[in-house]
Amino acid sequence: MSERRPRTEQQLVELLRAIDAPAPERLHRHVEALVQGDSERHRRAPRLPRPLLRLGLPGLAALAAVLVVLLAAGGGSGGFTLQQAAALTLSPARMPAPPLSRSHAGELTANVEGVAFPAWERLWRLRPTGARLDRVGGRTVRTIFYAGVRGQRIGYAIVGGLPAPAAAGAVSWRDGVAYHLLSEHGTSVVAWEREGRLCVLSGRGVSASELLALAS
Amino acid sequence: MALLPTRSQLRGREPGQMRTLDPGSLSQHIDRLYRSAWALCGSREDAEDLVQETFARVLKQPRMVRGDTELYYLMRALRNTFLTGRRSAGRRPQVVAELHDEMACDPRPMGQPERALEVQEIYATISELPEDFRLAIVAIDVLGLSYREASRALRVREATITTRLFRARKQIAQRLCSAEDAPGAREGNGARGVLSEGETS
Repeated sequence: MSERRPRTEQQLVELLRAIDAPAPERLHRHVEALVQGDSERHRRAPRLPRPLLRLGLPGLAALAAVLVVLLAAGGGSGGFTLQQAAALTLSPARMPAPPLSRSHAGELTANVEGVAFPAWERLWRLRPTGARLDRVGGRTVRTIFYAGVRGQRIGYAIVGGLPAPAAAGAVSWRDGVAYHLLSEHGTSVVAWEREGRLCVLSGRGVSASELLALAS
Repeated sequence: MALLPTRSQLRGREPGQMRTLDPGSLSQHIDRLYRSAWALCGSREDAEDLVQETFARVLKQPRMVRGDTELYYLMRALRNTFLTGRRSAGRRPQVVAELHDEMACDPRPMGQPERALEVQEIYATISELPEDFRLAIVAIDVLGLSYREASRALRVREATITTRLFRARKQIAQRLCSAEDAPGAREGNGARGVLSEGETS
């Protein structure tokens, strides 16, 4: 590569952008098969109703309350319910807070199956204050608690195991991720998936929109 | 909790039109995503696995994307899958590739052996960069995102992207030049890189 070795930033950029190595044929085939399978699945599955996306936060919250009532009546599946995880986020801590990760900025050392808990002290002034580890419906649930300077207390739970339990509640889409909004005993709860694991965020002294901002 | 700044204040985002991601449009990005994955991992085989896993995750459920292009979204998914996979791999015992695995590699990587070596060297150099620098140069120079798209994909400010990209390019040039100047390397013209102002040889 000696003749083509870049000497200036421009040469390096041109060299990088000139690389046109194609993906192997079998990768194309695999991805095409995935896309095809997805199309088949979507043809059969009903789509999320668009009017739901146009609802404002108050509308979503009201809808969430209705759905919570319906869900409570119907119960959960597999012995695990979202309400149980939400209750954990409002429970007392049993263990000390995990330290900051040295290798991954913006994360704590605690994680569930590789899904790490965020470090919010620098960005949101929410410091981790404690943790707990529970087993609910055969699933491991790790919860980290955060405290804000104005007395807010937030619990962040990650539920282990795949596939993630289904989350109920009104849906708000952000960056392609569905955030489920619901209310548990008058407290706002946000549930969503991170890398296939169900995450539940709730707290006292914070609104639904603030929880959404933290979650996303 | 007024202490929370708005997301737009934090990231300088401008609101764009949200639309549902069309799975059929993803196939056109396979090659670019593969090259990005290769530069991230430093290995063609790992890149294949990474791209496949990324598409599997993206297609797992309907997605909403902002603006006209879904490439920034794919970059974000690629990054997340890469970071998750690496953390998981750190907890697993290492598996050494066996002979039949090597034989199973694609028989026609690019059709030009010397070109394949050159690309391998460049991408291997990128893959040795610190993670933040690597992601920035992959997003901008390998995948071809704009600075705004890259900041969206990597969830950092545009100014941060600019700084990281500058440092990444500088380090790559230094490493490529030092490889060239090393004993046994092919003969060069002896000139040092002039990648940046104030760079000392």
